[in-house]
Amino acid sequence: MTDVIVVGAGPAGSAAALMAARDGLDVVLLERGPFPGSKNAYGGVVYGRVLDEVLPGWWEEAPVQRWVTRRSTMLLTETQALTVDFRSTDWGQAPYNGCTTFRADFDSWLAGKAVDAGAQLVTSTVATGLIVEAGRVVGVRTDRPDGDLRAPLVIAADGVNSFLAKEAGLLPRTQAKHLTLGVKEVLSLPREVIDERFGVRGDEGVDVELLGCTRGIPGGGFLYTNRDSLSVGVVVSLEHLTAAKVRAEDLVADLKAHPAVAPWVEGAELKEYTAHLIPEGGYDHLAELSTPGMLVTGDAAGLCLAAGIWLEGVNFAIGSGLAAGRHARSVIDSGDAKPYRKALEGSFVLQDHKRLRGAPDLVLSERVQQRYPGLVADLVQGLFTVTNPAAKPGALRLLRRAAKKNGVKLRHLLADGLAGGRVFR
Amino acid sequence: MADRLVVVLARCTDLRAEVDPLSGAITRDPRTAAFSASDAAAIEHGLRIGSAWGARTLVVTAGGVECEGPLREVLSLGAEVRRVPTRGSYVDELATDERALAKSLVAAIGGRPDLVLCADRSADRGTGALPAFVAHELGVVQAPGLVSLELDGEDLVAERRLDYGRRERMRVPLPAVCSVEAAGIRLRRASLPASLAAATAEVPVADVPVPGPAVRVLGARAARPRPRHLPAPTGSSRERLLALTGALLSHEPPTVVGPVAAPEAADALLEFLARNGYLSEARTGWTVQ
Repeated sequence: MTDVIVVGAGPAGSAAALMAARDGLDVVLLERGPFPGSKNAYGGVVYGRVLDEVLPGWWEEAPVQRWVTRRSTMLLTETQALTVDFRSTDWGQAPYNGCTTFRADFDSWLAGKAVDAGAQLVTSTVATGLIVEAGRVVGVRTDRPDGDLRAPLVIAADGVNSFLAKEAGLLPRTQAKHLTLGVKEVLSLPREVIDERFGVRGDEGVDVELLGCTRGIPGGGFLYTNRDSLSVGVVVSLEHLTAAKVRAEDLVADLKAHPAVAPWVEGAELKEYTAHLIPEGGYDHLAELSTPGMLVTGDAAGLCLAAGIWLEGVNFAIGSGLAAGRHARSVIDSGDAKPYRKALEGSFVLQDHKRLRGAPDLVLSERVQQRYPGLVADLVQGLFTVTNPAAKPGALRLLRRAAKKNGVKLRHLLADGLAGGRVFR
Repeated sequence: MADRLVVVLARCTDLRAEVDPLSGAITRDPRTAAFSASDAAAIEHGLRIGSAWGARTLVVTAGGVECEGPLREVLSLGAEVRRVPTRGSYVDELATDERALAKSLVAAIGGRPDLVLCADRSADRGTGALPAFVAHELGVVQAPGLVSLELDGEDLVAERRLDYGRRERMRVPLPAVCSVEAAGIRLRRASLPASLAAATAEVPVADVPVPGPAVRVLGARAARPRPRHLPAPTGSSRERLLALTGALLSHEPPTVVGPVAAPEAADALLEFLARNGYLSEARTGWTVQ
């Protein structure tokens, strides 16, 4: 008798299966790909501290490519680049901060932990729909012969375009304005070349976030160092990308050709190209987190934080999955999903989303995306350009000049500054 | 007939192995180990024929523990499975003595099969000689390169490709070793209950000698053929383009046939092929009337 069906062996699903299995429940973990992570595209940094409690010392065995010890934020225009660069050796030792990893490896590893705890992993199996009786989810249908599977609780962890959450009426019809498209290239480079170009050693890695490199389409770029490859790509608003009639791979080509980026990727060979939708609607556009007989976790619930300087998803997926698995038994026993919702509200998962609920609108606004990178770059260029024999212009004059050139009124700058202060307080 | 045995010798390997373009090093991912389309076709033929005969179907794979996942999937289809352990690396496998491998596989079968099925070629390493070695070990006939395999009563009727698009249909005397192409057949999917039941099943490992190497490998590196020296092209780029495309040359105008009935259209087509040398009697043995 199956107690819990978890659909999707990504970070949320495997975390849920791990906790439910540890609680002694009979868990079936369904995965549509031939192995966990095989269907995934991810270009980001995984912040694994959420695992400290359930997998102590996880960093010793997780399939990490590099530990991020250097984080840069770059503002780009066609000809300029301004970088804020930070590095800390603290992030290069246990318990670490974030790591680059290939999700095919990471997801397999985490799903392996769930299997070790007693969950049964079934791969190459697609959950095609829900079995609903008397208004309650009582199982799922799969694409296998004789494929109905019943259980008192279904945990939907089937990703951003969750068919199960949609079928249950928990996730509104897909709205392009709340989605971004991430496209990523993995470029092969010898390890020593990466170390030299990025100024790192051993397992140290770099996370570079870039703004102003997407032809004015709201979004940004990224570059992460793996052991012997780079992950380079962009994440852009789906709605604006469609309207701009630009192909996403052209944006990646632009990024790689930018004078500030080209020297990093020179001579690299394309190994892999992937694309993926990302839910970036924030707190105000999360899915309903439960219906009788079903809990929704991770990307399926829209639990992905895209708040400017914080770009996190896997830790929110794991956090929500852990909560779902941890409270599976009480949800089954009581028939009420309140413990799950309460656990999320009491953790970083919903608290961060709630606190930063205004971030998506601000970060993806036209001024932040299209005007401020140029304004800041022009201001800094003005400050650092030696204009002799003319005297140095004052900073305020340079600011006014840069604002005018980039179509920004100082009152807008002030208003956005205040808005940013409120969002990130 | 309850004692009949159908055996499938299927190769399981990473079908998407990475090859380092610089060093030629091959990285195989155990998670993507699977049966090739031809191997899957052999398994499906084995299941169909085994079911029709009321026979046991045994799938034997030579490989490492990475083969156990795909073998469990076969187990959930109702076949028996067995694994023959092999030596580790890809280079070791390349150097394996194919005849010794055939001996180990036959030993792992542990009985005299009525029919042995193989893929017509392996996805990653094969010489194509294994079915012949297996047939030799068993002392039975071999039918290679089959595109279909059907039962006609108790007989096995096979079809295979010949040159010039022709096919050959033949009755295969049993016992036999048949190697099949991935043509017109697809491996069935296991039911969910069967898949769940087989998920943790143990895959028996045959207690047979691990096939050793046929050759001693001194080193392995990427193939780097010498560049061919080609003379520089002559003439202008326009002239070369014209020569390549034949843009300004006169051509035989297209032949318009019809509308005519099918026999006349076939005659016209045959006449065209004969006129252009594709249907000479010497090449095909046919005479165009």
